[in-house]
Amino acid sequence: MELFVYFSKMIGCNVQDNRGSWVGRLHDIAMNPNSDIYPKASDLIIRRGSFSREYARVNWEDIASIEKDIRLKITSDRIKFSREMPKSDFTLRRDIFDQQVVDIDDQRVVRVNDIYLLRVDNQLYAANVDVGLRAIFRRLGWTGIVDLIVSIINSKSPYLTQEELIPWKATQILPKLGRMRSVLKLDVTKNKLSSIPPAALADIIQDLDLFARVSVFKSIDSVLQNKVFTDMTLAYKEELIEQLSEGEVANLITNIPADEATDLLMKLPREKTHHLMGLLGTETNKKLRKLLGFAQNSAGGLMTAEYLTLKADATVADALQKIKDNINFPGTIFFLYIVDDNYKYLGTTSLRRFFNEDPQSLLLKTCYPENIHVYTDDSVEQVALLLERYKSSSIPVLNSQDILQGIITIDDVLEELISLAWHQYKEKL
Amino acid sequence: MNFWQKIKKNRVLKNILIFLAMLGPGVITGSVDNDAGGITTYSVAAATYGYPILWTLLPSFIVLLVVQEMNMRMGACTGKGLADLIRETFGIKVTFWIFLGLLVADIGNTATEFAGVAGSMNIFGISKYISVPLTAGAVWILVTKGNYKVSERIFLFFSLALLSYVISAVAAKPDWHQVGLALIQPQIQFDKDYLIMVLGIVGTTIAPWMQFYMQSAVIEKGTTMEDYKLALADVIIGCVATVAVAVFIMVACAATLHVNNVVINEAKDAALALKPFAGALASAVFAFGLFVASIFSATILPLATSFYICEAFGFNAGIDKRVEEAPQFYALFASIMVIACVVILIPNAPLIAITLWTQDINAMLLPVVLISMQLMVNNPEIMGEHVNNKLQNAVGWSTTVVLITLTLLLLVIPAFDFFKAH
Repeated sequence: MELFVYFSKMIGCNVQDNRGSWVGRLHDIAMNPNSDIYPKASDLIIRRGSFSREYARVNWEDIASIEKDIRLKITSDRIKFSREMPKSDFTLRRDIFDQQVVDIDDQRVVRVNDIYLLRVDNQLYAANVDVGLRAIFRRLGWTGIVDLIVSIINSKSPYLTQEELIPWKATQILPKLGRMRSVLKLDVTKNKLSSIPPAALADIIQDLDLFARVSVFKSIDSVLQNKVFTDMTLAYKEELIEQLSEGEVANLITNIPADEATDLLMKLPREKTHHLMGLLGTETNKKLRKLLGFAQNSAGGLMTAEYLTLKADATVADALQKIKDNINFPGTIFFLYIVDDNYKYLGTTSLRRFFNEDPQSLLLKTCYPENIHVYTDDSVEQVALLLERYKSSSIPVLNSQDILQGIITIDDVLEELISLAWHQYKEKL
Repeated sequence: MNFWQKIKKNRVLKNILIFLAMLGPGVITGSVDNDAGGITTYSVAAATYGYPILWTLLPSFIVLLVVQEMNMRMGACTGKGLADLIRETFGIKVTFWIFLGLLVADIGNTATEFAGVAGSMNIFGISKYISVPLTAGAVWILVTKGNYKVSERIFLFFSLALLSYVISAVAAKPDWHQVGLALIQPQIQFDKDYLIMVLGIVGTTIAPWMQFYMQSAVIEKGTTMEDYKLALADVIIGCVATVAVAVFIMVACAATLHVNNVVINEAKDAALALKPFAGALASAVFAFGLFVASIFSATILPLATSFYICEAFGFNAGIDKRVEEAPQFYALFASIMVIACVVILIPNAPLIAITLWTQDINAMLLPVVLISMQLMVNNPEIMGEHVNNKLQNAVGWSTTVVLITLTLLLLVIPAFDFFKAH
């Protein structure tokens, strides 16, 4: 018997009792989810009958040998069949075979065509999942013919030699039919998703169906949730918050960058926006309310309210202290903005400019000599032009009375410009 | 107060607007349903058998409604496409054969759509050697370079052109009393041609690929069980519209062509033949409806088919992917288009036979898809508490049984004729 067995070959194989008489056929294999890297098989699920099927569970210790058939150590009368499928947390056929899983290494959603089981001393371990085309033909029983045809056409075709295997440790099982069994499932089989970069994880989640999307999203921790949510496209954000509780939505909106939050809120129906605003903390509420008043592709719509300000009489020491206090601040801490008591904008300075200055000197003296800024109704193009001309990575936004309203960072501008450029590029095609 | 504010103040109008926004999957599927193949089958059936064959539309309507409601419920409940569910529930072998059948049927269906394009343009004096390649090119550009969502909306608007069949039907001055009677009084004949026709009508009204399309549309819309009532209303409206259009097409043809003993073989013939009896307008309008319906379905069919196959076998798919990213998807899409066009462009291609055979493959595939759907929609592991109730099961299973019987009869009767002849 070989070291590796295909699960597809095992399904339906005969199960005999200790005297060699037929008991049933193999239907599924329940796995022990807590065993280390490779889950170990814990129970056999066997079936008998064709129209009114009955199922029974057999403990792995009761297996004598696994060859072409499975031989048990016990007599058949000790096996209790019933119409109900025995309950298990995690089984190969129900949860993995033919289902979608996430390939952690390549960061994509794939469909499992077969499972490789490793056989050591009558124990079975799930080793790899096969997502290749060849596995489909093997299950249809056409390996010979298809291999022949392919080798006639191109004897060096990668199809013949390359197996598309994903090692178990790089496979994340998805909650099957999310609504029914939801998050519980992921706890059972260890969540490996956190090793994926948030942007890639956002892409993966968008590839899933609605309910799987919600349960995968709920299964990751809240810090990662915020990052993934930020990276999702607006349409998916909208759909996702429909499925989350109000508290969860309020939490997300509070913790993602303010400009992303306003983009989302602007997209929602007015009544929904009002309702959500009511659930937010007063600080967030104030911040977002201001941003919501501006057109989306104007400087006002692009800006974020997350920046650090200091008063005109602040010293360099005050500035350093401010940065230390805000080390976990979601916005930029590299730039500081100086305003008077009425929040009138006076100047911008950066860490680089004051870091080595005398701690007692006035911060205002370290400001950039050119006073560059934009107004809330300036266009994205104007913002981009100024950022480029002064080789700056952020720019303050003022209202007509020179009161500081927010700042725009270069990544927000890039996002907007890329989508503009993409539209123009598409029109040209 | 501007126009929109006025509308928002009006409670009734506001509710109508909300409802229109909810409209979607059912209505879209309904209008894709009356494609070139459908129009051909309806007009040929009515021209040949007259009003008495109208009754077939009533059971078709009930079945259509029950099936689409199941699709909607499955989509809303699981968030998964029908192809996904079939693969996950029945494994690879069943999936493979269903999709092989679907692929063959849909190549035929697509060919029928291009035949519709060729036929309708022919009426306006444009040769098929010009219209078919041009349309195929336009479809290809639309799908690969254009915005699919936008084009779907535009088509949906144009599918209002299907209402033109109402004009054609009224212009034909039918005997409405007789139409009403024929709808509710089944008159069944037991000969082969008649059975093929009945099967064809059912097969074209409830084409298997529609089930896949419907479910995807429901998912795309993000419908969940909380929206069930609105979604159900949408399904009902879609089905009523679909069957109403079919009634008008059949009435138009029965009132003119059958009464005057004109025999036709294609939808194009119907458009041409309408002219002397119902006037040039009715004829041109019929042809225009045919053209819009054909091009709409010629865009959707190859795309949808490639998509479901890739979905079931786990290949990358979608028009937002590049060719290198989704090679199987584009290969399938291109082959369906190319085969369908080539078939139509072959001089003296047996277009009518292709159309009728395609409808028959549809009708034979339908029970298989229906059985799979019935099994899944009754499985609490998949549907939770939303499994079928007794009435839904009764209609579902009896439809399946009737269709299987009809299909078997179709296979048996030719054999019977063969033995009689020898």
